[in-house]
Amino acid sequence: MEDYKYLFKVVLIGNAGVGKTCLVRRFTQGLFPPGQGATIGVDFMIKTVQIGDDKVKLQIWDTAGQERFRSITQSYYRSADALVVVYDVTSFESFRCLPDWIKEIEQYASNKAITVLVGNKTDLIEDREVSLDNGTNFASTHEMRFLETSAKEADNVDKLFLDIAEELTKRVQVHEVEDSKDEIAICSQNHTVSATYNCCRW
Amino acid sequence: MGVYLCFDNPWRPNLQLVHTDAKQLDSMISFTCNLAENVSSKVRQLDLAKSRVQEAIRRVNDVLDLKFCTDGVQTALQNEDYEQAAAHVHRYLTLDENVLKQVTPDSKEDSGLDASLQLLHEAEQQLKAIVNVKFDDAVKTRDLASVERFFKIFPLLGLHDEGLKKFSMYLCTQIANTSRQNLEIALGTESNERRANVIYADTITLLFEGIARVVEIHQPLIETYYGPGRMLSMMRSLQKECDIQVKKIIDSFIKNREFDKKAQQVQQNMMSSYKTNVNQADRLDPRELDVMLAEVTLANARTELYIRFFRRRVLADLEVIDLNATEKQEKLSQLDKVLVNCELSRGMQELIGHYIMMEEYFMRETVMKAIKLDAMESGAYTSSMVDDTFFIVKKSVRRAISSSSIDCVCAMLNHACILLESDFCDVLYNKFRTGFPSGSLDMTQAYNLLQQGKLPTASTADSNAVKAAFLTTVNNAEVSGEYVITLKKSLQDQCTSLYGYTSEQGKAKLESCLSDLGNVSNKFKDVLQYGLNQLNASAIKPRIKPMVDAFLSANHNITEEEFSNYEANDPFVQHFIMSLEQLLHTFKSSLTTSNYDALVSLLTNEVVSQLEKAVMKSVFNRLGGLQFDKELRALVGYLTSVTQWTIRDKFARLTQMATILNLERVTEILDYWGPNSGPLTWRLTPAEVRQVLALRIDFRSEDIKRLKL
Ligand SMILES: Nc1nc2c(ncn2[C@@H]2O[C@H](COP(=O)(O)OP(=O)(O)O)[C@@H](O)[C@H]2O)c(=O)[nH]1
Ligand SMILES: [Mg+2]
Repeated sequence: MEDYKYLFKVVLIGNAGVGKTCLVRRFTQGLFPPGQGATIGVDFMIKTVQIGDDKVKLQIWDTAGQERFRSITQSYYRSADALVVVYDVTSFESFRCLPDWIKEIEQYASNKAITVLVGNKTDLIEDREVSLDNGTNFASTHEMRFLETSAKEADNVDKLFLDIAEELTKRVQVHEVEDSKDEIAICSQNHTVSATYNCCRW
Repeated sequence: MGVYLCFDNPWRPNLQLVHTDAKQLDSMISFTCNLAENVSSKVRQLDLAKSRVQEAIRRVNDVLDLKFCTDGVQTALQNEDYEQAAAHVHRYLTLDENVLKQVTPDSKEDSGLDASLQLLHEAEQQLKAIVNVKFDDAVKTRDLASVERFFKIFPLLGLHDEGLKKFSMYLCTQIANTSRQNLEIALGTESNERRANVIYADTITLLFEGIARVVEIHQPLIETYYGPGRMLSMMRSLQKECDIQVKKIIDSFIKNREFDKKAQQVQQNMMSSYKTNVNQADRLDPRELDVMLAEVTLANARTELYIRFFRRRVLADLEVIDLNATEKQEKLSQLDKVLVNCELSRGMQELIGHYIMMEEYFMRETVMKAIKLDAMESGAYTSSMVDDTFFIVKKSVRRAISSSSIDCVCAMLNHACILLESDFCDVLYNKFRTGFPSGSLDMTQAYNLLQQGKLPTASTADSNAVKAAFLTTVNNAEVSGEYVITLKKSLQDQCTSLYGYTSEQGKAKLESCLSDLGNVSNKFKDVLQYGLNQLNASAIKPRIKPMVDAFLSANHNITEEEFSNYEANDPFVQHFIMSLEQLLHTFKSSLTTSNYDALVSLLTNEVVSQLEKAVMKSVFNRLGGLQFDKELRALVGYLTSVTQWTIRDKFARLTQMATILNLERVTEILDYWGPNSGPLTWRLTPAEVRQVLALRIDFRSEDIKRLKL
């Protein structure tokens, strides 16, 4: 068995070209890829991080933004522990499309999943079309966490993923404590802990 | 020599003589040296002269060639011997005009040379024009021999790119013509013909095969006359035509199979299923999709095959030529661009996108129907929906695998997980929630009623039917958990057929989605546990308590006479075992072995915990303790005989109680306690030991208190 305590699935969504692939590659490989093509279908990356005393494995699914891949990408929503909706702060269009992505989440994702809004490309100061306030407001209306990032400058990228890992870990641990209380209460043997959160435990 | 003289007369040295000799020698050496220098410089000059002569001869030859070419090209052109003419021009193109002109700078020949060059230049242009026209004519008249003839002439005139472009265009028209004919034939196919169901996939396949054949035939020709490294540009040209033709075929497919219309209907149906159950008549019958879905996967599999062929051919060709790392990278990224951005890839991605949506609908609707039509069969532990559901899921995912698209397979694996762990598990949970009616059970009657589809009239029959359904659901949950593991293994095996040409990344995606499917078995375990707990709570627990109460009415403070009388007229355990037997009997034939064992285990827990309480409420003398020991052995023996699981451990506490109740004296406990316990692990706390000892009416409480445990 691999050496990790929890496994979480993180799915990135948002219009094509907002920088999802760059965010994932920055986080998992520590680089800003030069001129790679648009993502086809979904890509899959893994990074294990340390949260407190535990090793936590993040399985990151990077999706293609184009419509024709929608039925592929949608199939990953349900098992996602966290959904990251990315827009490009230099593209108002990408911000304008956010409600469509929110609708997708409402329709397909588990209601237990964490949702995070990310405004990427903050390094392009001159070209900014979406203000910090725009992002903050949208996120609070939809009860999402919010962060502005730059995959290019590695700004807030680690924070984005580490915060997610930390929050998910905390939630499972609280849940485990409750479960063990339940177990004592029920006191039935062979009681299998029902995994309400999508995670594996070792 | 001189030195020799010097030593000739060692005892009478004549230094004067030696000196003269040495001088002489020195002048001789420098003379020889000069001579040699002189000779070698002459030789060098000679060499230079020779090479100049050779150069001159070559130039003369060039000039002669030039004259020969000039004359030859005229004749060749007149004779329409274009190969010869091209050979002359080719020869002329290898000559350096400027150098030639230097050969005869002032001579009268000069004007003659210029004229020759002029002539050749004109001939070159003329020939280029002719070859272009003739090639086009040959294409128009479908004169294959001439096409090939002029195709070979282009590179002689230095027109590699142009020749290749024209030739590719010619090949494209061939491909287009064949494809058009194939599509016409396809459209004329009667629906009852053998491959009518996959006629569009077949037509696409024919197109790919046609292109492959074209490449197969012409690649050697191109390599011979144009050199290696030309496949990328040729394939790029062919792909343009392929895109045009594929689009036509896909458009016909979409139109004639009503692909988009069905996709839209499916989309609407899927949306509405989230809200209310709309009119069933408006829902698209999944069976209408079955055949069409298979055709899409076939078309995509063929496309992936073709794209792999394309890539392989270009890569092999790039291997042959010398490229540095950056050039190679550049070529590779060009290749990727062609393959990723071509209309063919995009068109197929669109189709597969819709396919996944419709395949999911097919799977979900068909499974829901199977659940609705669920039927129990006598002799079977599970009802029809389990086999049906897994059959359908397997069918859908296998079909997805047959598309060769990793993303498509993964998407369908994800949908299979969602369907099984949410929808299907919910169905099982809901059946469990209705509960298991109390009261005794007549399974035969229940099955008969359910099989005849009759509404039970009597309320007992009614509840029997509900009970039978409940037990079947318990089995369904257990078997589903096993099926899902089998399903995962079988799909995994099938996926390995894709591994030959899947990237590591693709394999990782597949493995992850497959392992998620395997994990669904844990969800079924939860459901099963829920069902068993329900069953325990309503059918076992309430029945055990009154049975155990009989223990309280059996006296365990007995005389020898009563003890031996019990041999013949058992006061408790025989009847208790019979009651258990009866209770279990109703389940034995209705539950799978594993479920039955699980139920016996639950029942044993209940028996043990009730019996412990009963013991603690009773009083014993020594013979009563012996009697209890006998009773316990009988009970353990019986329960061991009905299950494959070990239940002895569950009786550990009771067995230890019996041991205590069988002691001669209070202090005898010390023979078994603490350092004397040997292999025995006490499950009773010291306080409990004292409690049990106190049940012995003949033990004094002071003795018990005094014990050091
Ligand atoms: N300046 C800048 N450019 C970025 C950043 N992130 C991505 N890009 C560029 O945006 C384009 C699209 O990025 P990509 O990651 O492929 O977007 P995706 O379609 O969402 O995966 C690429 O040209 C990237 O170089 C960023 O943080 N800053
Ligand atoms: Mg991308």
